[in-house]
Amino acid sequence: MLRRLTYFSIDRPKLTIVISLLVTIIFMSQFPKIRIDTDPENMLETHQRDRAFYDGVKGEFGIHDLIVLGITDENGIFSPSTLEKIQRIVSQIVKIKGVIIEDLISFTTTDNVKADGDFLQIKRIMGKVPDTQREIDRLKRDIYENPLFVEKIISKDGKGVAIYVPVQKKDMSYRISKEIEKIVEGKLDGTQRYYLAGLPVAEDTFGHEMFKQMGLTAPLTGLVIFLLMFLLFRKLTLVISPMFVAMFSVVWGMGLLIGLGFTVHIMSSMIPVFLMPIAVLDSVHILSEFYDRYPSVRDRRKTLMAVTDQLFTPMLYTSITSAVGFASLTLAPIPPVRVFGVFVAFGIMAAWLLTITLVPASIMLIREEKLERSLVQKRREGSFLDKILSPMGRFSFFGRRTVVLAAALTLALGIWGVSRIVINDNPVKWFKEGSKIRVADTVMNRLFGGTYMAYLVAKGEKEEAIKRPDVMEYIDHLQSYLEEDDLVGKTSSVADIVKRINYVLHGEDKAFDRVPKSREEIGQYLFLFLSSGDPNDLDNFVDNDYKDANIWVQMKRGENRDMERIALKVREYIRENPPPEGVRLQWSGLTYINKVWQDLMVGGMLKAVLGSFAVVLVLMIILFRSFGMGFISMIPLTFAIVLSYGIVGFIGKDYDMPIAVCSSLSLGLAIDFAIHFLQRFKRKYGETGDLERTNDYIFGEPARAIARNGLVIIIGFLPLTLSTLTPYVTVGAFFASLMIFSTLSTLFLLPALMGIVGGRLLKGGRR
Amino acid sequence: MKGKIIAVIVAILSLSVANTKALSAQETSATDVIKKSLNAFYYQGSDMKVRVNMKLINRQGKERIREFVMLRQNEQLGGNQKYFIYFFRPADVERTTFMIWKYPEKDDDRWLFIPAINLVRRIAANDKRSSFVGSDFTYEDVSGRDVESDTHSLVREEQVNGRDCFILESLPREEAEYAKKVSWIDKQNFLPLKEEYYDIQKDLYKVYASDEVKEIDGFPTVVRRTMRNVKTGHRTEVVFDTVQYGVGIGDSLFSERYLKSPPRKWIR
Repeated sequence: MLRRLTYFSIDRPKLTIVISLLVTIIFMSQFPKIRIDTDPENMLETHQRDRAFYDGVKGEFGIHDLIVLGITDENGIFSPSTLEKIQRIVSQIVKIKGVIIEDLISFTTTDNVKADGDFLQIKRIMGKVPDTQREIDRLKRDIYENPLFVEKIISKDGKGVAIYVPVQKKDMSYRISKEIEKIVEGKLDGTQRYYLAGLPVAEDTFGHEMFKQMGLTAPLTGLVIFLLMFLLFRKLTLVISPMFVAMFSVVWGMGLLIGLGFTVHIMSSMIPVFLMPIAVLDSVHILSEFYDRYPSVRDRRKTLMAVTDQLFTPMLYTSITSAVGFASLTLAPIPPVRVFGVFVAFGIMAAWLLTITLVPASIMLIREEKLERSLVQKRREGSFLDKILSPMGRFSFFGRRTVVLAAALTLALGIWGVSRIVINDNPVKWFKEGSKIRVADTVMNRLFGGTYMAYLVAKGEKEEAIKRPDVMEYIDHLQSYLEEDDLVGKTSSVADIVKRINYVLHGEDKAFDRVPKSREEIGQYLFLFLSSGDPNDLDNFVDNDYKDANIWVQMKRGENRDMERIALKVREYIRENPPPEGVRLQWSGLTYINKVWQDLMVGGMLKAVLGSFAVVLVLMIILFRSFGMGFISMIPLTFAIVLSYGIVGFIGKDYDMPIAVCSSLSLGLAIDFAIHFLQRFKRKYGETGDLERTNDYIFGEPARAIARNGLVIIIGFLPLTLSTLTPYVTVGAFFASLMIFSTLSTLFLLPALMGIVGGRLLKGGRR
Repeated sequence: MKGKIIAVIVAILSLSVANTKALSAQETSATDVIKKSLNAFYYQGSDMKVRVNMKLINRQGKERIREFVMLRQNEQLGGNQKYFIYFFRPADVERTTFMIWKYPEKDDDRWLFIPAINLVRRIAANDKRSSFVGSDFTYEDVSGRDVESDTHSLVREEQVNGRDCFILESLPREEAEYAKKVSWIDKQNFLPLKEEYYDIQKDLYKVYASDEVKEIDGFPTVVRRTMRNVKTGHRTEVVFDTVQYGVGIGDSLFSERYLKSPPRKWIR
């Protein structure tokens, strides 16, 4: 049987350690093969409908991800020296590898179409830096007179310019943004500032930060846990092995993931953080039991055998339930979540294996007299924990009806909180407030039409459909409708270009600032634009056959909720104003894609949690060989989960990606205590047949183990809240609250419930 | 003694003068090759009439068609030229005409006739390096770039498709959309057989190829050519269908009046 593994480790501690070290080295050897993927788009399967469509849109319209650089000057940017700086900056930015030269939008690279007497002028907005006041005024007039530019490349107040830098691939965004920073930084003076915004920068920067955080917060968390354990158990050599269990299981899990050729995604980067508490959990149970038993046995071998006998079954079951919780994530329709689930599950089982081998083996290596000295002689009677725990147990047991009533009320409160949860996410908010990216996001979206890009694609059935005046007009009206919304700062489309040409060709007569009435006119205006400007400018808006048109929708905020609202608004508009025959509309773009995977994720996670809830319930029924016990064991975790999410609802924290991922962990983590509690309750009751005595026993050593574990995890994960990335903060805070509720509900509610129904249930359960 | 020193100085000076002469001679010969090439490529005959079929092919293999008659008249070899273009396709721009008076040393004059609103507009455009009717060719690729805009140097000689070529490197004197151009110029007829354009990120981004050369009325003429943008995957294929030289177009055609209603014989 599996227990032999532990016996083997007790007999051959050195060999056990060597073997586990070797296995760890093998997994570690895979690390150099690491491939990183920070693209949230990969949250969707490649063939998922919206993603495939977005890929199509990108290809069809030659669209690239955009970095938006803003340069502001409190004194206004219309001075020769500032304009000259802008020119110099742009001419250096285009030299950065990976920047799409011809699609860069700025004063010095974008054409302005205007009338100049008999001439139709198609020239750079700023061909050369103006040096007289007259030239400056003229430039100002040219820019503000063209609606395509206002709030796109120039702010209304003239204090900021925006430069749109398209990049070949999104994962170049971080590097390119760093190079842009280097170019800009030295050039600005006191009144001038620069900002880098746009989802690609946020997403790619997150990827880079994430690894820094992994290297910083994970070890820090480890250190705090280590210190806590040292405080609890007071013997350095005793508490060192759990740290190795945690480290090794992380190496095993990550090593296998990398070795099998999976990419380390934002999600899988969290594996170490998720594995650590679970890995530590079982070790603390062993140490706690050992620490409490040793003084009476005074033989490490015998103590370990007894501990194993007590803990083996609950530890196996807690590990299996946690693993099942994560494995259930494979039901989610999101590839990185599936990978995450599978490898955390693997890591958990690795942690279990290491716990039942490495921890006993390492204890065997500590000399008996040393254990004696630190565990027996230094031990203070009636520790702090005992002073709290045993009254607690008696209170819950005897005040059971009060406890259950209070619990029911709290649960109702929790459910109310859950009902207030708002599902929402925005990758920019994965950075803490006050961070460079958040500041840039705020400033840029105040000054300009918006850095969040979504595309509304008008799809025609036939070629040339977009050149139809009715279609063109529909697009134009739809844009006006969209721009009425405060959230939408700016829209641009082929209709704007056609209107502009019409207006300019007719001597800038306002009466012609509209979509022309005939197909020929539209066709010829587009040809004119194509012939004299930059053909790429048009390509971004219509496809090769003029079958599809792409409306750029720039939004000032990029939360899923905002995107959702705008999409709903457009649906409503379409219902009231159906598009011309043979044309339909479809959303795309990064902001929209984020909303799509978020929707899938929420649904997928909910399904996964419900699925694993059922599986865990079945496991519990098998473990306790009783339906009633099975149900009771699920109660503390139900409490912990409902209350933790209730808090999320009450404090108004958005239900975002990290929160969703936490739900998978909550099940496995929260059931742990209940299993230990009930398994030992059942066993003791079997021996004594007396509920009160059993309860008193449970509030001795077993409750101490639970409380110690609770403390270690609650405090141990607080360092995560210092992280600069909010997902880590969220995970840290969520773990803490989950463990608080899980500990409390186990220690209060379970004794109360067992007091009420325990006698009946366990009699039925006993053979 | 003094005389000797002076003699030495003179000798050194004359040596260095000879040296610079040798250098500039090398440069001149490169410039000469380019000049000859421009003449062979853009100035054959006193005038030219050609029906052009242009295919603009995007990365996904989808095509857009441009079909037009192009009439060209030289004022002097290597100097000013006039171009008249009449479009047949795409269908919705039929009857659109386009006229360019080309001056090598300054901005061109351009006129466009828009039939849908019966309007001729003069166009003042950016630069000669912007796209010609949405293709991968620029205006300069169609009508030639001033030899003085770049510094040219002969880098080596090599064969292309069995023909001996000069390989020249041209660097723009002022910032342009390309940072370097390498041309393979046929030693015999001075037609460019291949050109490579490098952008300011130092990447190769455009490649020109003369796909077929035919002798027409005694002038070696590139009748099929391709310009390929290797960065975007977009390319433009051009076929010269019926090329005629010395047809006697005359100066009067190149006027605003004829933009609106060109004589039928010139646009057939």
